[in-house]
Amino acid sequence: MAELVDAIANIKEDEALTIVRHRLEFGEEPMALVEECRAGMAIVGERYQKGEYFLGELIMSGEIFKQAMSLIEPRLTGDVPTETIGKVVMGTVKGDIHSIGKDVAAGLLRMSGFEVFDLGVDVAPEAFVEKVVETGAPILGMSGLLTPSFESMKNTVTAIRERGIRDRVKVIIGGGVVIEQVKCYVGADAFTRDGAEGVKICQEFMREANK
Amino acid sequence: MIEEAMTPQERVQAAINLEVPDRVPVLPLQTCYFACRYKGLDGYEMVKERERALQAHLEVYDELGGFDGQVIPGISFIFPRRLSGIVAEPLYKVPGVDLPRDSILQHDEREILLPEDYDLIADLGWNAFAEKYYSKFNPRPASKILEWGERQTATYIDDVKLWNEHGVPVYKGGEAFSPLMFFSMFRTLEQFTFDLYRRPDRVEAAMDALVEDFIQDAIEESKLTGLPWVMLVLERGGCFYYPLKIFERFEWKYIKRMTEAWVKEGITPLLHLDQDWTLNVPYFRDLPKGCICEFDSCTDIFKAKEILGGKQCIMGDVRASLQTHGTPEQVAEYCTQLIDVVGKGGGFILSSGCYVPVDAKFENVKAMIDCAKTHAPLQ
Repeated sequence: MAELVDAIANIKEDEALTIVRHRLEFGEEPMALVEECRAGMAIVGERYQKGEYFLGELIMSGEIFKQAMSLIEPRLTGDVPTETIGKVVMGTVKGDIHSIGKDVAAGLLRMSGFEVFDLGVDVAPEAFVEKVVETGAPILGMSGLLTPSFESMKNTVTAIRERGIRDRVKVIIGGGVVIEQVKCYVGADAFTRDGAEGVKICQEFMREANK
Repeated sequence: MIEEAMTPQERVQAAINLEVPDRVPVLPLQTCYFACRYKGLDGYEMVKERERALQAHLEVYDELGGFDGQVIPGISFIFPRRLSGIVAEPLYKVPGVDLPRDSILQHDEREILLPEDYDLIADLGWNAFAEKYYSKFNPRPASKILEWGERQTATYIDDVKLWNEHGVPVYKGGEAFSPLMFFSMFRTLEQFTFDLYRRPDRVEAAMDALVEDFIQDAIEESKLTGLPWVMLVLERGGCFYYPLKIFERFEWKYIKRMTEAWVKEGITPLLHLDQDWTLNVPYFRDLPKGCICEFDSCTDIFKAKEILGGKQCIMGDVRASLQTHGTPEQVAEYCTQLIDVVGKGGGFILSSGCYVPVDAKFENVKAMIDCAKTHAPLQ
């Protein structure tokens, strides 16, 4: 494993940033560094999905990646090419300001190659609909920790339906207390209480969409 | 109905003592929000109109047929009579003020403490730090903060008295955060996680310096209220958040120290374990005897029973969404499973997973309570 990939995968912040600075000083091609950073993050995601890493490692690796990119980006010419496997619009629904579960899911989806449009917390149904329309995302992820958030999720699905795009958008809901009955109540296609499982469900959605 | 041969307090104490009571005690947690919504009060009224809220709470308790007491009597807090005991109360967003009128109180997590505060706390200890820098938490004058704290405590004690006059015991007399939970809430989860990796020794030194004050504050609160339970609020240190090496260094040793100190004082520590602690449960075998491990449905409570059976009392864990979107039959089925498996041999208190949600269905909460009254635990 390349040194930089290894440093990010093993959450060694100082080491990773020193390598990036050193290699940039020696005039190395910045895109090669971007690729290694991404490879390191992919390993973090895999380790999380296997239960070897926890939320702390996801948060810290995200920070290392962000700092590394802030060093690399000024040396890049043009946009960083991104190959994504699909787009996901997501957020914590209206009336709920809990962000942890949503952030975990967004981070894991990015590590797995998805382009994520994170709308933050307390997101109104109309804002979800507008973003789905604007990006053409085939997946909408809604998060909520409090039980009253289920009503907001339901309202968002209704708004998606009223906009006439329900048949082209898969809806997944997530949160510590969601269950099958809530999925049915909301009118979602899937539910999860586990970020890693959420990624697998989104990958399955993409496979179906690409058939 | 099972014929009752114990008072609610005796029944609950039997569970804490790991004995088999006459029936499984049932203590739905924080029923106030649910009761108020059921009686037509909105979130703003729940917080601002105490008399109406309390009346609704009492009425719903009776309509549910009663249960084995209130862990928490209302929405007031208890504080020791000093600034350092009050200022660290989490900051909330209030329905009708910062949130839609019909929502509930939600903690507003912000970066109130800075990295350099670890060193100041390590040098000064918590009490002296809080006395000197209280304005970080609360911009009001010290005298106003103290007055507010005294009003809260007086209201709490009044609520307890009203419940007792209604024939209902109340249990929680104090509350504390673990040092990890405290710093995570006041640094924010993200910044605190960075701290654990970037400046672990400074974090640990600050935790060492404040834990004794947290222990003593809770003891003082318990004496003020005359109630023998202290709720230790835990969420951020479990295996959903961090690996075991972080748990061992920054969470477990303080949980152990706090609970040992309280048990020595005759206090029952109620470990309020939100989120997933499944990997951490084996450590709880080494807690002092007389604790309650309360799970919110994210931890595998059946696995916890395998590990903690005969060692610690377990409480939980009817999932919030089952209370809001399940049927009474589904609730009863799950509660029966809990009583049969987790209640087997004693040491179990049936409860909601975390608080009873504001929008729980009345018939589902009743199904939970009735199950404890009708389904006998296995010996």
